[in-house]
Amino acid sequence: MATNTRAADTAWGDHLLRAIIQLRELFSGRQAELDHEALEDFSRLFEGADRLQRMLEDTTQRSNTHDLMNALAAIRGYGEMLREDIGPQQPALDETLSQLLEAIHAAHSAHTGNGVGTAQPLLQAQKIQSEPGFILAVDDLKENRELVARNLSRMGHFVVTAASGEEALHALEQSDVDVVLLDLLMPGMDGREVLRRIKEHPEWRATPVIIISGNQDMDGIIECIEAGADDYLFKPFNPVLLQARIKAGIERKRWHDREEQYRQQLERNEKFIRATFGRYLSDEIVTDILERPEGLELGGDLRKVTILMSDIRGFTTLSERLAPAQVVTMLNRYLGAMTDIIMAHQGTIDEFIGDAILAVFGAPKRGDDDADRALNCALEMQAAMSTINARNEAEGLPVVKTGIALNTGDVIAGNIGSERRSKYGFVGHPMNVTSRIEDLTAGGEILISESTLRSLRGNFQVGDSQEVKVKGIDESIVVHQIIQGVT
Amino acid sequence: MTDTGPILLVEDNELNRDMLVRRLNRAGLEVISAGNGQQALNLMLSEQPSVVLMDMNLPVLDGWAASRQAREDERISHIPIIALTAHASEADRLNALEAGCDDYATKPVDFPGLLIKIEKLTRA
Repeated sequence: MATNTRAADTAWGDHLLRAIIQLRELFSGRQAELDHEALEDFSRLFEGADRLQRMLEDTTQRSNTHDLMNALAAIRGYGEMLREDIGPQQPALDETLSQLLEAIHAAHSAHTGNGVGTAQPLLQAQKIQSEPGFILAVDDLKENRELVARNLSRMGHFVVTAASGEEALHALEQSDVDVVLLDLLMPGMDGREVLRRIKEHPEWRATPVIIISGNQDMDGIIECIEAGADDYLFKPFNPVLLQARIKAGIERKRWHDREEQYRQQLERNEKFIRATFGRYLSDEIVTDILERPEGLELGGDLRKVTILMSDIRGFTTLSERLAPAQVVTMLNRYLGAMTDIIMAHQGTIDEFIGDAILAVFGAPKRGDDDADRALNCALEMQAAMSTINARNEAEGLPVVKTGIALNTGDVIAGNIGSERRSKYGFVGHPMNVTSRIEDLTAGGEILISESTLRSLRGNFQVGDSQEVKVKGIDESIVVHQIIQGVT
Repeated sequence: MTDTGPILLVEDNELNRDMLVRRLNRAGLEVISAGNGQQALNLMLSEQPSVVLMDMNLPVLDGWAASRQAREDERISHIPIIALTAHASEADRLNALEAGCDDYATKPVDFPGLLIKIEKLTRA
């Protein structure tokens, strides 16, 4: 016999093997209901199927057509007998047998030259171009696993198989799987349980799962999709459909991977921004920067802000009388409380200079009420001093008083410094003026400049005003005292 | 159906042979079988089957040669032969008929069709 065939490369071969697999599965569930004669016929049929499968899988040694046709003939004969004998009592088996016979018919036509139509699915399958993926095929039946592996390997995918739920979970732990093909019915840990574990696992959750169901169990499929399955296939599946779904799964996984990478990058950026800005910006502002990075210019711009400067009166002299540890305790307590208050009013702490605090309202985030927030902040800072002093007294530390100055004006805000060390800071004349006003404050006092007063929108109790000539500034400025303890 | 003799099935593939024997038995026919062309000729002589179902691809002596020899031996030349061929090609069919076969059936056989052919040939 000169004619050889490369059956493993034919679409009908796959079709036939799928039909056999389906029959095997169905048979294993029904064999208790069959009589001796039917069991005998099934065993012969499967014997023929085994031979056929060996021939189809042996791609190195081409099987000759005669052997192939004999195996097909035997399968067909037993199949037809079984349909006659048990068909009426076993409609499911009858249907599967009929599919098997159709597959044999297609195989036969393919071999006798009438099989133009049957070559079609293979051509279609080859047309689906997919990025190679790492596929985990989970099925308790060896034939099924081998069929899927053969199919997908041919498409260029890398396939690992698992014979049980436990093996599947182990495989997932071992490697980065792109798509899981999961048989629903398995002894021990079934497909549903494997699906549940995959979807509960923080790292596997995004791995697409394609459910494979032997019987046309739509309810089971719906349940699985609700439980997080991405897709499904009924056995015996069309290789084109399998390939298309695998392709979609791989694409989904790739998208997720890219998204995850992007998210991690963002997270790193966010961490960096929080670490860089977090110490002197309120959480709210940091979050705002992260949410609308385009809405904030950190590069440097001229903007109107209200500057707050506070200073403990006579702290330098005081610190000379205290032990260094006491100074640090006192300062930390004071600065800690003040920082909280400033951040609560969405102020940006520019820096601490010893016991002095320099904070800005209106940068990087601009608000309509920058001056009001700054003044409310100052009032709260002064009010908090009694608590701080009560604790100082309780520990035998001295009572301290702070003076606070507010000034409003245009400053340059941006990342200032060298490449090695830079920070979001402020430069400009109004900064210096604030410092001069601060020098004028007495302990417990709040002084605001004329420009801040004009920027206020709320009602505040303004006390004495004075025109002062300050060091280093040519023109004199008007400052107003704020009366505290009223709202 | 005449009851002159059993059906002789000549098939080297035991899986396929067993299947066909079983099917023919189920159809109420007595079947004897041979695994090659030489055995077939021997059984044709000794058992005088009513009809021979002859696979063409056989070891020792193939179906075409066995059919030709059967046709030349007057002791058995009257026994109808149905060629079982794996190929439905025109050439194979013609080769079988040229070798003296009376009819042919392609594998996998259409069993009801085969029964009709058997009946037709054994009745004649």
